[in-house]
Amino acid sequence: MGKENHINTKKINTPLDLDVLYKVLDASVTGIVITDNLLPDNPIIYCNPAFEEISGYTRSEIIGHNCRFLQGKDRNQPERKAISTALASGESCRVEIRNYTKKGKLFYNELYISPVKGENGQITHFIGIQNDVSSRRRTQQELELVQEETERKVEERTRMYKESQEYLSSIVETIRESLVVMDKDYKVLSANNHFLNTFKVSINETKGKLLYDLGNGQWNIPELKKMMEEILPTNNPVLDYEVEHDFPHIGKKLMLLNAHRIELEGRYKDWILLAIEDITDQRALQQRKDDFLSIASHELKTPLTTIVGYMQLMNRMMPENASDKFKGVVEKTGKYIQRLNQLLSELLDVSRIQTGNITLHREEFDFDKMVAETIESIRAATPSRKISLTGKIGRNFNGDESHLIQVVSNLLSNAIKYSADNTKIEVRVSSISDFIKVSVEDKGMGISEDELNKVFDRFYRVGEVQKHYPGMGIGLYLCQQIITNHGGTIWAESQKNTGSTFSFTLPMY
Amino acid sequence: MKDKKILVCDDDQGILEMLELLLEEDGYQVVLEPNSVNALRSIERESPDIVLLDIWMPMISGDQILRSLRDNPKVSSTPVLMYSASTDGKNIAESCGADSYISKPFDLAVMLEEIERLLQE
Ligand SMILES: Cc1cc2nc3c(=O)[nH]c(=O)nc-3n(C[C@H](O)[C@H](O)[C@H](O)COP(=O)(O)O)c2cc1C
Repeated sequence: MGKENHINTKKINTPLDLDVLYKVLDASVTGIVITDNLLPDNPIIYCNPAFEEISGYTRSEIIGHNCRFLQGKDRNQPERKAISTALASGESCRVEIRNYTKKGKLFYNELYISPVKGENGQITHFIGIQNDVSSRRRTQQELELVQEETERKVEERTRMYKESQEYLSSIVETIRESLVVMDKDYKVLSANNHFLNTFKVSINETKGKLLYDLGNGQWNIPELKKMMEEILPTNNPVLDYEVEHDFPHIGKKLMLLNAHRIELEGRYKDWILLAIEDITDQRALQQRKDDFLSIASHELKTPLTTIVGYMQLMNRMMPENASDKFKGVVEKTGKYIQRLNQLLSELLDVSRIQTGNITLHREEFDFDKMVAETIESIRAATPSRKISLTGKIGRNFNGDESHLIQVVSNLLSNAIKYSADNTKIEVRVSSISDFIKVSVEDKGMGISEDELNKVFDRFYRVGEVQKHYPGMGIGLYLCQQIITNHGGTIWAESQKNTGSTFSFTLPMY
Repeated sequence: MKDKKILVCDDDQGILEMLELLLEEDGYQVVLEPNSVNALRSIERESPDIVLLDIWMPMISGDQILRSLRDNPKVSSTPVLMYSASTDGKNIAESCGADSYISKPFDLAVMLEEIERLLQE
């Protein structure tokens, strides 16, 4: 646009035919208007086709109007004031003002206005030169937008980074576990407050010091040292390593240690994170609970022994002429005493297993006979149920017979409990490779998929059954403990309303 | 046979009374010793044909009594049947030289069988 303008101003000084001049203006691609300042409200007296093009108005709609019509209703623009100030003082000006085409479409008008002075210095005309800079402006705005967006993103990232830093450090500081980060030479880079509070040390006593020098060398434990030294070269973490130690300031404590090589953004750093958990109280509590269980069940067994004894004496001393009704009462009493005894034994066993005390008394015994006899005793107790036995091992097994009897009878009594009276129970014994396999199948209510993997949990009982059959539900947990202690596995398969099969395998050698 | 003397040492009065009833019913002569501290002295004095001995007792436990009994030439050959509610009972009984062991709560028929068997040996 500047080009035409240039030509114009230059040519204006040389005497030239006005017609030629208008032709030049008409040919310009820049909008040009001339207003007559001597007429009221400074009307347009000339516009070139480019102006018509830009504004969308025809010449007839333009001539005679003040140029402000281009502003439409958008009159609150500071540029308007700038123009009138310039016009009033007879100066030229340059603004970028929002204008609207005839169709109401917004465009940014880059507007130059220059006064034309008459011979006596009076301003007779103004020349306005217009350029639609919308697209330029749009690009610029877009650019600004991109810039803003980028800035915003950078800010956001920084904020997120700061936040995640804060987030992390708040976790690190809130966690009730002592955390220490070390470099490859086991020099402490940082330690959280919990560490400092637990071991009653200051950060100055800790940071920059070697782990093994901390607190009178309390961590200088050869076994731990060996494991720690393998972390970086092998990537093998230290997992749940228990340290019992008489620590300065805090006394004898049981600590659980976990140490890992630090991984940042998928890359291993030569840093080690050591997490230390004080499990002294936890362990003591567990011990107390186990002691309680074991003492309670043991103490309960003594009066129970007396009751069982009297029960049996009652049977022995039963008068010949006792009524069937009375005999029935005695029998029922005996049955429930037996049940109570069973529960107590389980409780005692659980407390023992809890402490890892289950001791197997392995001896050679006739496995087939054991299964057959266990089934026989269950049959005797529930003569109404049909229990079939197929298959045999045909050789002795070295294991804890009384515990395995417990497993088989537990699986059988579950099968009886959880299936209808008229349905069959099948026990299958087989030897597979060097394993014994025993399965107990019932045609009962079955167990749903999500309950299936919980049945071996301690104190878990299959949902609906819970209501109908009170008890502790530790039987299957015990079975699992017994079987795994023999090096075997136990599992359950089931379909709702079709039945369940509980199986276990035992390695024969 | 049934005039044999059985000494029962248990700190629990209920069990003592119950066993007394059972054993007397079966025709045995029964001596009860509720205090473990006196157990060895009672055995020496009464020289029973068989001793029924609980393992878990306050002051002196059954296995301690049994060990000193085996060291005492006067009574060392007395057959001893131990019992307990503890799952370790069997191991303890074996390790201190009990002639037989049954776990609490006991099946009286089994206990009577064991007593008879030990007396015949
Ligand atoms: C030669 C000349 C050209 C002008 N061209 C435009 C124009 O294209 N667009 C516009 O919004 N205003 C233009 N103006 C400004 C308006 O005509 C008017 O002077 C401005 O809106 C301030 O006056 P007001 O406050 O009375 O509206 C031009 C003015 C002159 C003298």
